[in-house]
Amino acid sequence: MSHEAWLEQAEVYALGALDDDERRQIEAHLAEGCLVCAEQIRETSEAVTMLARALPQEAPPAALRARLMEAIDAEEDALETEGGAEDVIPIRRAPRWAWWAGWATALAAAGLLLVVGFSLSKTQEELERLRGRVAILQDELTEREATLGFLSDPRVRYVSLAGLPASPGASGWLLWNPEIRQGLFLARGLPPAPADRTYELWGIAGGEPVPAGVFKVDAAGRALFRLPPLTETKPFDTFAVTLEPAGGTLKPSGPMHLAGKI
Amino acid sequence: MSREPAPDAVELVGEVARGDREAFGRFYDRYASLVFSFALRLLRARSEAEDLLQEVFFQAWRQAASYDPGRGHPEAWLLTITRSRGIDKLRSMRKRSERTLSVEETSSPSEVGVTASGATRSEAKLTVTGALAGLPDAQRRVLELAYFDGLTQSEIAARLGEPLGTVKTRMRTGLERLRGLLGAVSGASGS
Repeated sequence: MSHEAWLEQAEVYALGALDDDERRQIEAHLAEGCLVCAEQIRETSEAVTMLARALPQEAPPAALRARLMEAIDAEEDALETEGGAEDVIPIRRAPRWAWWAGWATALAAAGLLLVVGFSLSKTQEELERLRGRVAILQDELTEREATLGFLSDPRVRYVSLAGLPASPGASGWLLWNPEIRQGLFLARGLPPAPADRTYELWGIAGGEPVPAGVFKVDAAGRALFRLPPLTETKPFDTFAVTLEPAGGTLKPSGPMHLAGKI
Repeated sequence: MSREPAPDAVELVGEVARGDREAFGRFYDRYASLVFSFALRLLRARSEAEDLLQEVFFQAWRQAASYDPGRGHPEAWLLTITRSRGIDKLRSMRKRSERTLSVEETSSPSEVGVTASGATRSEAKLTVTGALAGLPDAQRRVLELAYFDGLTQSEIAARLGEPLGTVKTRMRTGLERLRGLLGAVSGASGS
């Protein structure tokens, strides 16, 4: 297997979606000490938490907090009675090495489990690769059809955005359907955002800005994206782009780079 | 792509690691809704989600010293604990209810999302949701079946009645996009 393929498997492993055979293979590979794949797993594990972070938030019942605080107090008291305060810390919390040791043991065990080699035949792999390619093309086609449907809607308005003093060479346009509140945005000539900054698009209704999506620009200063679903229903009269702290904000705070009226 | 987690969140975990109960209270207040919403989505049963929430925070209290900021944001750490415990619970719940209708078929992900009551809109959530809006539905569905329902690639293929190769490719492409989006929304969490 090429290392590129290992990296792909590592991602799926981080999501916990590998079937047993493939899971054992990647675990054996990790047990050989592949740090690149380990880092890939770490990054992917963090990336997939976005699926959880995007869920609608619901606060737990207030009584749970009190119960939890009681539980940790009870545990603390038990430990304090058992030994002196000196002993409490090492007992109560696993030191950092324990975490690594746990991993190392798990990986070593996985290595022992690797008895059989790769069972997938080349033909099977090739067939799956082709099927996958068809699936991607289908997805792209569906997306394109959706975009085409959006573009041919007579209610779509064209909004031109001009570069402001912060980036005079930049320009952009927005195809905006005010009825269904969907839009397709394109910008070009924007300077690359610093690591801790993100560009953010705003819809402005009577002077009041509403967040309409964060975006990154490519090396050529271009960005193209479909606006996320907007809950705000006020009619926008202006659109603008500002540079904000990474992740975006609810109210614009940074310099304005692009602006245009409908 | 190295990103530093928000320093105050990391500091807070440090205080918790030193056994500061008051700091632990603040840590709970900050992340309880996030963990609870995730637990609800994973287990789809209120009482089970409440148990999971308690277990996750109890584990966080005991293991705060092993948290390493170099390995990701505290929020990601907490969510990873939630998922791993949650999926274990989900599997044992499934075993218990094998002969009845399987738990995961009672509602679709989007229905759960829309009907969750008392939904609040945090700033972090707003931007993450925005970023995920760019993910094609077919890719998002396979990621969600793996992440929230603990299904493997062949289980997903069987569930959706699609060839395994299709599921694999959708998943990889979706994961690639997610990793790309991570950069765009970093630092938005926990504010």
